[in-house]
Parts: sequence; C-alpha cells; structure tokens
Amino acid sequence: MPRIIIYALLILTLLAILPPVIAANARSKPNPNRPINIIQDMDLQAKFLPQSENDLFADKRSQRPQIVGTVARGENYLDTHFVDGVVDGQWATTTPKQLPMNMELLLRGQDRFNIYCTPCHGYSGGGNGTINQRAMELVANAEGPVNGTVWVAAKSLHDATVTIQPIGQIYNSVTHGVRNMAGYGSQVPPADRWAIVAYVRALQRSQNATLEEVPADKRGGL
Amino acid sequence: MSRFLFPRWTNAILPFILVTGAILPLYAAFVVAYGFSPKTIDAGYQPTQPVPYSHALHVGQLGMDCRYCHNTVERAGFAAVPATQTCMNCHTQIQRESPKLEKIRSSYESGMPVEWVKVHKLPDYSYFNHSAHVNRGVGCVECHGRIDQMEVVYRYSPLAMGWCLDCHRAPTDRLRPVSQITNMAWDQRVELTREERESLVKLFHINPSENCSTCHR
Ligand code: HEC
Ligand code: HEC
Ligand code: HEC
Ligand code: HEC
Ligand code: HEC
Ligand code: HEC
Repeated sequence: MPRIIIYALLILTLLAILPPVIAANARSKPNPNRPINIIQDMDLQAKFLPQSENDLFADKRSQRPQIVGTVARGENYLDTHFVDGVVDGQWATTTPKQLPMNMELLLRGQDRFNIYCTPCHGYSGGGNGTINQRAMELVANAEGPVNGTVWVAAKSLHDATVTIQPIGQIYNSVTHGVRNMAGYGSQVPPADRWAIVAYVRALQRSQNATLEEVPADKRGGL
Repeated sequence: MSRFLFPRWTNAILPFILVTGAILPLYAAFVVAYGFSPKTIDAGYQPTQPVPYSHALHVGQLGMDCRYCHNTVERAGFAAVPATQTCMNCHTQIQRESPKLEKIRSSYESGMPVEWVKVHKLPDYSYFNHSAHVNRGVGCVECHGRIDQMEVVYRYSPLAMGWCLDCHRAPTDRLRPVSQITNMAWDQRVELTREERESLVKLFHINPSENCSTCHR
C-alpha cells in the first residue's frame, strides 16, 4: 500500500477525534462567550420583558419607575394604619385590622425576619448577625478599616429603647430606615413588614418573659 | 489503451472500508447529538459582569438568603436582579470605598441602572414562572446548581425543552418542603425518605403539565 494513503488515513482518524474533544472541553468548563445561536426562530421578539432594555429612555429601563406624586392602580394610601403605621397622628399600637395578630402572621413574620433582618440583627434579634460580625472585623482590621468601612453595630432589638416603642414606630423604622439602617420599604411589601414587626414583638416578649407567662403545661423544662 | 486496474493491495483494505462505512453515520450522529446538544452549547455560559459581585461570598460565607436580593421570586414569574439600593443597604458603610464597587456607587448617585448581563435566557416564545415552581417546593439548586459556591454565576442547566419536560414527567425526587427552597446544601434525596417525597407530591397536588400551552402561550 502506498505510504501516502496510510498517512492520509491516519490524519483523518486523528481529525475525527477533534470534534468530540472540542465538545467535551466545552462541556467541562464555563465559557464567557454567548451561546452560538444560528437559527434564531423567534427567540428575540419585539416585546419588553421585565428588566429588559428600552432605548427610548435615557436610563434604558423598559420598566418605568413610578412618577413622584402619582398613585398606582390598587395602591392603598388612605389607610394610614396599614401603609404608614400611624393612627390619628400617633404611632399605631396594634397591627392593622386586615392582619390580626395570630399564629399565621407570626410564622410568616419569622420566615421574613430570617431572610431580611438576620444578616445584621441575628436570629434572636440580639444584634450579632453574620454581616454585623464581618463588618466589625473589617473595622477592627490591623491596618485600618478595609476600604473605608464604617459600621454602627446593628442594635439589639431587646434594647429598652426599642421595646418601649409602639409597634407602628418599629414598622416605620423597617419601612423608611432609621439613622444608619436602610429602609426595607422597596424590598418587602407592607403586609410582610407588618408580619415582621409582629414577630419582632414576639421575640422581644420571648427574651423578657416571666415564668408566669409560660402556659402551665409547658413549664416542665424550665 | 491501458485500463485502470485496482492494485492487488486494495483487496486487503476492503473490510476496513466496509467497517468505516458502517461506523461513519454513527460517528456523525454522535457528533451532532453530543456536540450540538444544549448541554454543550447552552449550559456553562458565564458572562463577565460589570461588577465582580460574588455569590460565594455573600451567600456561601455571609449566609444571606436568595430572597434578600431576588425578592420577587416567590411572587412573580420573573426573579428580579436586585436594585442598586439593595446593595447600598450594606455598602453605604461596608467596603464603601472599594474600587470593585465603583459602578454601584455611580449608579446610586446617578439613578442609572447597573447593566448586569443576563445569564439565563429562554427564547421569547417560551414562558417560565418562578413562583409556580418555588411555592410548590422546587428548590433553586435543582435548576441553578450550587450558586452559593460560584464566584461568577454560570448557566448550570441546559434550559432546553427536554430538560423542562424531564422534570415535569417525574417531579417526585426533585421536591422539597417549601421552607428549604433556598437552602443550597440541602438535598431531599438524602434527607427525605421516598415516602416523604411522595407525600409532598400529594400535599401540593403536584401534577406538572405537559401541555404545549403551559409553556408556549
Ligand atoms: C444591613 C444590616 C441591617 C439589616 C439587614 C437590618 N437592620 Fe435594623 N438596624 C441596623 C443598624 C446598623 C441599626 C442601628 C442604627 C443606628 O443606631 O444608627 C438598626 C436598628 C434597628 C432598630 C432600632 C431602631 C431604633 O429606633 O433604635 C430596629 C427596630 C430594627 N433595626 C429593625 C430591623 C428589622 C425589623 C429588620 C428586617 C426587616 C432590620 N432591622 C434589618 C442594621 C440592619
Ligand atoms: C446580595 C444579593 C444577592 C443574593 C443574596 C443572591 N443573589 Fe443572585 N444575583 C445577584 C446579582 C447582583 C446578580 C446579577 C449579577 C450576576 O449574574 O452575577 C445575581 C444573579 C443571579 C442569577 C443569574 C441571573 C441571570 O442573569 O440569569 C441567578 C440564577 C441567581 N443570582 C441565583 C441566586 C440564588 C439561587 C441565590 C441564593 C442561594 C442568590 N442568587 C442570592 C445578587 C444576589
Ligand atoms: C447584607 C449586607 C450586604 C449586601 C446587601 C450586599 N453586600 Fe456586598 N459585601 C458585604 C460584606 C459584609 C462584604 C465584605 C466581605 C469581606 O470583605 O469579607 C461585601 C463585599 C462585597 C464586594 C467585595 C468588595 C471588595 O473590595 O472586596 C463586592 C464587589 C460586593 N460586596 C458587591 C455587592 C453587590 C453588587 C451587592 C448588591 C447586589 C451587594 N454586595 C450587597 C455585605 C453585603
Ligand atoms: C424550575 C427551574 C428553576 C427554579 C427552581 C429556579 N429557577 Fe431561576 N431561572 C430558571 C429559568 C428557566 C430562568 C430563565 C428565565 C427566562 O429567561 O425567562 C431563570 C432565571 C433566573 C434569574 C434571572 C432573572 C429571570 O427571571 O429571568 C434569577 C435571578 C433566578 N432565576 C433566580 C432564582 C432563585 C433565587 C431561585 C430559587 C428561589 C430560582 N431561580 C429557582 C429556572 C429556575
Ligand atoms: C426540577 C423540576 C422542574 C423543572 C426543571 C421545570 N419544572 Fe416547571 N414545574 C415543576 C413543578 C413541580 C410544577 C408545579 C406543577 C403543579 O403545581 O402541579 C411546575 C409548573 C410549571 C408551570 C406552571 C404550570 C401551571 O399549571 O401553572 C410552568 C409554566 C412551568 N412549570 C414551566 C417550566 C419551564 C418552561 C421549564 C423549563 C425551562 C420548567 N418548567 C422546568 C417542576 C419543574
Ligand atoms: C415545560 C414547558 C414546555 C412544554 C410543556 C412544551 N415546551 Fe416547547 N419549549 C419549551 C422551552 C423552554 C423551549 C426552548 C428550548 C430552547 O431554548 O432550546 C421550547 C422550544 C420549543 C420549540 C422550538 C425548538 C427550536 O429549537 O426551535 C418547539 C417547536 C416547541 N417547543 C414545541 C412544543 C410542542 C409542540 C409542545 C407540546 C407537545 C411543547 N413544545 C411543550 C418548553 C416547553
């Protein structure tokens, strides 16, 4: 058999191994390039999805932010108790009537508190969440605070200055923030904020409870 | 006039040619199925983001819950990428002069959005809904992989129609209690018995649809 044919066959066999190797390599690790899409079908349609781009506006947001001074459909702004935590110009002392204080509300509150508040205030509300710990370390760094970090310790929710506050005031702190704490009004809807403050009340109670407040049949382990 | 004659050695390679001829179509089919599968082409997409935000740090080390940032995931079809304000809840104070956060700060001052690159993208003719999955006990990790270990997010799943249907046809092993939705390290195949997983199916009356109109509407 002529040499040239043998070489040609060998090279062809080697080349045949290439495509699977390239594919296996592409599978094995993440790749920064946009996936190849030759046949586009109707993959990209002329419609605006949430958080997509719209070149007509200077900020390119397709989802328009609410214009200051307008009221969205279904937005409830007259019920100041529910929206602002204010009744007759005073901080509300109860949860609004749509959300009576019950176990369901507290469980929802616990769930939400553990998502939005524990990073700083900790699971018990004592003020030592993971973010708080890390921020303290960054401030206490030997060569000075890392990248200009400053930190006011997340306040213990069992501090007397907080436990004496009416529930409406705590609600307001969560909605609009207080001093160094940012507001959660844009992240958490009002009903969930009420659930959170209801749970904060329960936490405060739990840390300052007396034996008499524990139901008789549950006192065994105390 | 001399006629072309196959040299004698060609007889020896005849079986070889037959075998190659039989293998070649199989080979071609394999290359197309393996090389052009969404697992090769679509999965693993990891674009470079404008801000070097790390899930491994914020979720893995600092233990934040997904919903702190992706707060619409339980309420809406779309899992919103957080607004600049959300980052600034902490970063007005923590690492407030970090060069890595330059774009976040300028966005906070100007009100212009940060241009995050979208990692997961279904074609516009298909419809997906997060709340339908998350509230029925399909955890983030089933579709997005171990986000809490990713420095930079990449596309873990192929997001192909076959992939959706694989789960819609056999969801039992992929369900967890709703309280464990965002817990990335938790695996129901280990933590729950078969019976417990089946009872989850009954609890939520899970019957994922295979109707075309569920996802193409
Ligand atoms: C990013 C960290 C952080 C998160 C998350 C956070 N807080 Fe705070 N919180 C703080 C800090 C810091 C303070 C102290 C502010 C100060 O004294 O300047 C504080 C103070 C408070 C106070 C005391 C206000 C007062 O009048 O003294 C309350 C009540 C409170 N937080 C509730 C909450 C609730 C409820 C949540 C969850 C929705 C929450 N916080 C989430 C950091 C945080
Ligand atoms: C501190 C805020 C924060 C937390 C907490 C967080 N994320 Fe993210 N996530 C982001 C930001 C910002 C982006 C956009 C930038 C990027 O893709 O890295 C993102 C992107 C993503 C994407 C890709 C989105 C796309 O473009 O397709 C997925 C998927 C995701 N996150 C899942 C999760 C999961 C699952 C968790 C919980 C384990 C989580 N995230 C927790 C901020 C957060
Ligand atoms: C609940 C608080 C919190 C939120 C919200 C948060 N971060 Fe962070 N972030 C931290 C902490 C704490 C560190 C410092 C960790 C360390 O240095 O070990 C950090 C570090 C960083 C760093 C690294 C900075 C450096 O120079 O090393 C980047 C980048 C960053 N965050 C981006 C973001 C982005 C983008 C968002 C919004 C999607 C965000 N973070 C939201 C707490 C938070
Ligand atoms: C059943 C699979 C599945 C589960 C479970 C799931 N995702 Fe997704 N996720 C997707 C798909 C598919 C997309 C792409 C959607 C699109 O392009 O329309 C996506 C996109 C995203 C995005 C980008 C924004 C968007 O909606 O397009 C984020 C952020 C995200 N997911 C976060 C999460 C978080 C956080 C969880 C858990 C609470 C979660 N996902 C659970 C499949 C899933
Ligand atoms: C890990 C499993 C899993 C994957 C992967 C998955 N789904 Fe689902 N899907 C479910 C479950 C479970 C339900 C809830 C069914 C029910 O409530 O009966 C559901 C419900 C849905 C619904 C709502 C149906 C209704 O009746 O409202 C849609 C739409 C949907 N899925 C689309 C998709 C698409 C599109 C994909 C692929 C991008 C996908 N799913 C991938 C498990 C999955
Ligand atoms: C569980 C959700 C789901 C269901 C049910 C479903 N599809 Fe799809 N389909 C998808 C997704 C997601 C894609 C996009 C896949 C991709 O990006 O490759 C898709 C893509 C397609 C495509 C385009 C394929 C291409 O690459 O061009 C066709 C055609 C299609 N589907 C037809 C159907 C038909 C017919 C049915 C009913 C028998 C059906 N689908 C049911 C989710 C679904």
